[in-house]
Amino acid sequence: MANVLVWAVWCGAAFACIASALAVVSFSNPFYSALALIGNLASLAVLYLLLGGEFVAAGQVLVYGGAVMVMFLFVIAYLGDRSQEAPWAGGPSWQAVGTVLAAAAILAEVIVALALTTGGRLTHEAHVGRSFGSPGQIGRLFLTDHLLAFEVTSIVLLVAAAGGVVLGAHARALEDDARP
Amino acid sequence: MNAAAWTCLALPLASALAITACGTSLSRRAAGYVSTATAFGSFGAALAAFALMLGKTPGERAQATTSWTWLSAGRYSFGLTLLTDQLSVLMMLIVAGVGSLIVAYSIGYMDGEDEERRYFAYMSLFLFSMLLLVQGGNLLLLLAGWGMVGLSSYLLIGFHQERPAAVAAAKKAFVMNAFGDATMALALFLLVQQTGRLDYGGVFAAAPHGGAVANLVALGLLGGAVAKSAQIPLHTWLPDAMEGPTPVSALIHAATMVTAGVYLIARTHPLFENAYVVEDLAAGLGAATLLAAGLIALVQVDIKRVIAYSTMSQIGYMFVGAAGGAYPSGMFHLMTHAFFKALLFLAAGIAIHALAGEQDLRRMTGLGRTMPHTSRAFLVGCLALVGIPPFAGFFSKDAILAAVLDRGAFGWVLFACGLAGTFLTGLYTFRLYFVVFGRTGAARPHLHGTREGPVSMVSTVTVLAALSAAGGFLQLAPVWTPLTTWLTPAAEPFAEASSWEEALASAAAVALGAAGIYAAYAAYVARTLRIPAAWPALERKLYWDELYDVLFYRPADLAARALRRFFEQPVVAGSIGEVGRGFRLGAGEVSRVQSGLVRAYVLALAGGLAVLAVVFLSTR
Amino acid sequence: MHGPDVGWYLVLAALLFVTGALGVLVRRSPLIILLSVEIMLNGANLALISFARRLGHADGQVFAIAVMAVAASEVVVGLGLIVAMGRRNVELDVDKLRTLRG
Repeated sequence: MANVLVWAVWCGAAFACIASALAVVSFSNPFYSALALIGNLASLAVLYLLLGGEFVAAGQVLVYGGAVMVMFLFVIAYLGDRSQEAPWAGGPSWQAVGTVLAAAAILAEVIVALALTTGGRLTHEAHVGRSFGSPGQIGRLFLTDHLLAFEVTSIVLLVAAAGGVVLGAHARALEDDARP
Repeated sequence: MNAAAWTCLALPLASALAITACGTSLSRRAAGYVSTATAFGSFGAALAAFALMLGKTPGERAQATTSWTWLSAGRYSFGLTLLTDQLSVLMMLIVAGVGSLIVAYSIGYMDGEDEERRYFAYMSLFLFSMLLLVQGGNLLLLLAGWGMVGLSSYLLIGFHQERPAAVAAAKKAFVMNAFGDATMALALFLLVQQTGRLDYGGVFAAAPHGGAVANLVALGLLGGAVAKSAQIPLHTWLPDAMEGPTPVSALIHAATMVTAGVYLIARTHPLFENAYVVEDLAAGLGAATLLAAGLIALVQVDIKRVIAYSTMSQIGYMFVGAAGGAYPSGMFHLMTHAFFKALLFLAAGIAIHALAGEQDLRRMTGLGRTMPHTSRAFLVGCLALVGIPPFAGFFSKDAILAAVLDRGAFGWVLFACGLAGTFLTGLYTFRLYFVVFGRTGAARPHLHGTREGPVSMVSTVTVLAALSAAGGFLQLAPVWTPLTTWLTPAAEPFAEASSWEEALASAAAVALGAAGIYAAYAAYVARTLRIPAAWPALERKLYWDELYDVLFYRPADLAARALRRFFEQPVVAGSIGEVGRGFRLGAGEVSRVQSGLVRAYVLALAGGLAVLAVVFLSTR
Repeated sequence: MHGPDVGWYLVLAALLFVTGALGVLVRRSPLIILLSVEIMLNGANLALISFARRLGHADGQVFAIAVMAVAASEVVVGLGLIVAMGRRNVELDVDKLRTLRG
């Protein structure tokens, strides 16, 4: 019984995931694309929960959905009509063919790689305890095994913040010049 | 004696090196004194060698001394050998003696010249080269001296570097001499191949007698002699060489260098005696040259060119003598010619110097009144040149004319040419004397107070005049022949005149010479003989320069242009250009990958990822 | 409880990644391209978390959190660029921005 439920949730989440991803890349209005991405993020959060990553799922919704996507929506709203200037696609025909081929190749290769390397071992899941994926475990890992990654990531965030300020300041200076 | 020989050779070299090394720290005058002192020292050493030789028996007089083995390859070995024998001592005395007088003269003539030090360094270099040539104990050293003498000649003709005519004349002289050097080198190659050695005694003994090889060897040596001595057909450089300063003309192109060809024939006479055809050829060329040069001298208007053609003509006499087998007579004429030809040039130099560089006859008239001393010296030289007794030329020239009478029909032809040449000599020489040093004329020379020129110039001219007057008494063939006796061990003549031949030749020559003088007098002084207009052929020097222009220069120029147009520009320069263009094109094509399109770059990334994944998977 | 094997999740992650890649390669608006990059990152995250579950180590989740932080930083800079372009009236078309051509 529980199995069927899990499978049903999985199918629903997977379907939503794929559909929203396709929607993101195919809508011409970036506003709709951003909304579709929010749906994508939500479905992914469900999948993370199924995989036992509670903290990650929460972080996904809060950080990605709550901060990144909000930023996106702000910018799209700011740009207004200008966000739709570019045509949907274009360029030389060899590019289109190459794109399809490359994408198909990558997909095929990933699947083949997975099949070759893992064989039948993917069916065996490790036995995990209740604290698997809990904030405490994640935090402990961050501060012990992966301390360097933790620190480096914080620096990256700092750099990004500085970059944002710089880009914004330049833009503001330009606006001051443009104003009569 | 060997020490004297080495000293004689080394002193001028030391002078040249010292003047070069001291540079501007040596004053210009001092450079002249250094050069002159070493030249006189060289003469002193030659005298010492001569004196020491006199004390020995004739058989012992030749001495070779080797300082070290210069070239050693396989079974061939050539050393730095000096040969001091009768012939080389004679040449040493002439070269060092006349050379030191001329270098002393140069102190006055080149006074005030900016590049005086360079001049004296070159003069010392020349003396060293000429002494190396005559003292060399093997053909290799002779060739080395030969080449260096050509180099000194080039440097001194082109001394006034800012004059394009001088530079062109120097190049012309060097190129023609280089041709002679090449034929000589080929002859030496043949000799080495045949005999394996080049030292005089050995190679003469081992050389083949007659046959094609002997003829080729003699022909090669003759080529060198003809080039160096300015005989037809390699004579066109000598008149142009008068662009050099007058003492250079006197030393190199009258007294010593141009006579090196005669010395060569005398020294290598066994090789020439192995090839009678070539010897006859040499005599024939000499006769042709003496006639042609005499004719051309009649129409020249530059005083130095008249004397130059006279030199060419007199060397023709020497060739006739040497190739005719009368080596002592040829060498005797070489010696007396050195005296009076140097005298003529230097006296002319005093006149040129006094007239501030004027060399055109028509503007140098009447110096007999204003420059009597020079005029007298010049007269002595002219009389010696024409061969009037008792001056030097009489004794030496007539001996040659008499000696050729022994050679049968060809000898009579040579004799006739020689006599005709005597008439021409009288005519052109006294044309020169009467026009320039006559009593009527308009030239205004600038004199040094009461003297006609600087001390150094006047004194050396006086010495040479004395030698020209008295030098002939060294030999009066066949009665009184100390020179022949002296030279016979080194160069045994195979043709000598008998008494009646000598008397006949002398009488005929003197008569014709006097006739030439009288004709000149009648034409230029008494004006009783009408001077015909100059033939264009003579004025153009018998068109030899034009002939060489058509034969050599034009084809070479055409070939060079054709090569440039059809080969060098398209192929060589073009290929370099094409390589550059190819690279640029290639780079242009490659740069098209950078289209600036972000999506193309990302596609490349994705494509690369796909490929890498395959590679990664297949290698596991 | 059992659900799909980890393999199913991985296939899903591959599909997400490829979809994002297609979006980057095909679309011309920089905004859409950024969104597609987000999709690719999410696909990678899903794979990481799947493997974490399979192996029983939470390291994959730690990595996924780091990826999320980096993605956020990258979006900040990217959007800042787009805003700057918008202020300067540069046309927001990737194919038109070719001044870096060789």
